[in-house]
Amino acid sequence: MVEGAAEQPVANVIPAPDTSHYRSESLWTKSIRKFARDPMGIAALVIVSVFFVIACGVWAGWIGQNWSALQADGYTGMSREHWFGTNINGQDIYARTIQGTKTAFEVGLIVAILSTVIGGILGAVAGYFDRTIVDEVIMWLYGCLDAIPFYLFVAAVAFALRDQPYAMHVAMIATFWSSTCRIVRGEVIKIKSLEYVQAAKALGVGSMTIIFRHVIPNTFHILLVQGTIAFVSAIKSEVILTYLGLGVKHGVSWGTMLSESTFEVSAGIFNNFVAASSFLFLLVIAFNLFADALQDALDPKKVTAS
Amino acid sequence: MSEANPNRCEGGADRSGTDPVVRVEDLVVEFSTEKGRIRAVDGISFSVMPGEPVGIVGESGCGKTVTALSVLKLIPSPPGRIARGQVFLDGKDVVPLGEREMRRLRGNVASMIFQEPMTALNPVFTIGGQMTEILRIHRRMSRREAREHSIEMLHTVNIESPAKRFTQYPHELSGGMRQRVMIAMALSCDPKLLLADEPSTALDVTVQAQVMEEIRRLQEERRMSMILITHDLGVIAETCRRVIVMYCGKIVEVSDTSGLFAHPRHPYTSGLLASIPKVREKKIERLPTIKGMVPDLADLPKGCRFADRCPKATARCRENEPGLVEVSPGQQVACFYPD
Repeated sequence: MVEGAAEQPVANVIPAPDTSHYRSESLWTKSIRKFARDPMGIAALVIVSVFFVIACGVWAGWIGQNWSALQADGYTGMSREHWFGTNINGQDIYARTIQGTKTAFEVGLIVAILSTVIGGILGAVAGYFDRTIVDEVIMWLYGCLDAIPFYLFVAAVAFALRDQPYAMHVAMIATFWSSTCRIVRGEVIKIKSLEYVQAAKALGVGSMTIIFRHVIPNTFHILLVQGTIAFVSAIKSEVILTYLGLGVKHGVSWGTMLSESTFEVSAGIFNNFVAASSFLFLLVIAFNLFADALQDALDPKKVTAS
Repeated sequence: MSEANPNRCEGGADRSGTDPVVRVEDLVVEFSTEKGRIRAVDGISFSVMPGEPVGIVGESGCGKTVTALSVLKLIPSPPGRIARGQVFLDGKDVVPLGEREMRRLRGNVASMIFQEPMTALNPVFTIGGQMTEILRIHRRMSRREAREHSIEMLHTVNIESPAKRFTQYPHELSGGMRQRVMIAMALSCDPKLLLADEPSTALDVTVQAQVMEEIRRLQEERRMSMILITHDLGVIAETCRRVIVMYCGKIVEVSDTSGLFAHPRHPYTSGLLASIPKVREKKIERLPTIKGMVPDLADLPKGCRFADRCPKATARCRENEPGLVEVSPGQQVACFYPD
């Protein structure tokens, strides 16, 4: 050891710090690290993932396939064959709840993705070209749509597109994009005055390239959070609309089950009601907590102790 | 470095000749505000020769930045617009040009660097992603060529371990380093003209000096024309050959740098020079200031715009506006009573 130390050259120059272990970190990986430290967020994410796995299982055809088969008698209690019992027609409530998860995810994902994409793009374009005719038209459009009460609008669209399986989706997308659009527009008006947008312009980058490469990626944190909010709203609205008879017609949803249960609860049969509402409650609350945690993790101004 | 580069832009080929790189003729830029239409730049003319560094000085809001922005037609519109005049960039009037033609010039014939390096780079992309974008647009380089050229440019602006910096994100770099990256980006297509809008203002004093030194060196090496906008006369003295002094949207004095410091002609310029603190001054005195306030652009006085603050103003100054006239070789001034 002593010999080794003697061989060292006299250190009159400060050695360069070893940076080989240092890896470049994007804002995204930073956010993921921040998210991983939030126990609430992780718990919520686990619950949402379980629901998602169930929905995938249904899509793949592994579980909840015999939801419409008429078995046994109606209103049997919980048993080994029928975990949650059966409904008035003798259909398995467990299978119907599982199938309802798929319906919920289907509506939630389609509406969340499309409304966020539409809202994001229109919002970015409106914000980037603010105070021009393009902006005026987009603002007028969402102003008009926002002025119509949501359920009235959905009823109108559902009526206009009756017999179309996607009437409900269309109605929801047509209304949900506007809030994303408004928020993104405001953010883009801020972003476009930042110097990296000015610099991109000064270096000859085209407007559309600036919008899609420089502006929209900087609104991803908003889009992600807006997407999760749209997802939750879509699931809730789907259940409510189906309950009102405006939503899912060919298939089963938690809304169908709640609608059936209106007659049953007064008769003291709670199977449909408890199964559907507890699944809905758990998914919605978990997703809301997840969205909250996501928002915190993506907000660079909110610094948590590391 | 740049000479040995086979991938030069068409814009960078000719550095000699006597035609100005920029010639501004009677430029008027208007902004519509709540108070009505104001003229941020009111009928200015000047030109910049190839390889010449020119400084524009003046207080905030005197139209320095708007002048630079109009050379690249980057005036935010609405509310701004070029109401009158011509701007010849490399011999071509840019005022009637459309967005698409302007895009071909920006970053290619003329580049601009900005004041705030902290927000001048897009936070979601790596340094490399942003640098290669310009090369791919203007030069249609392949990904690999653009990467090599960008790393070479980072090396040119004295960034250490450029290959590593290339893969990093803006938040991992210091302010001075970001400004160097901006300079590298602005110069990567070898423009004939660099517009530098207070490039060192937002930096620490020591870093300021380094960055200005870098800009000065690159400007000389590349024989590039430059318009340097600043309110720091010290920076001008070290960097520019000619100075344009602006006040309230007008040019009040144009002069060789040495002439300006030795013998300022306009009372405003004299005031600016007097308000620089002098290190060697023995007596401790209150720093001289220019009395009064900059007039509101929406409500300008009738005559000379500086009359209300001028120690030498007479009735004539308040009635008529002086034009820019040559008082000695290389020195023009807009004043009835030049020093």
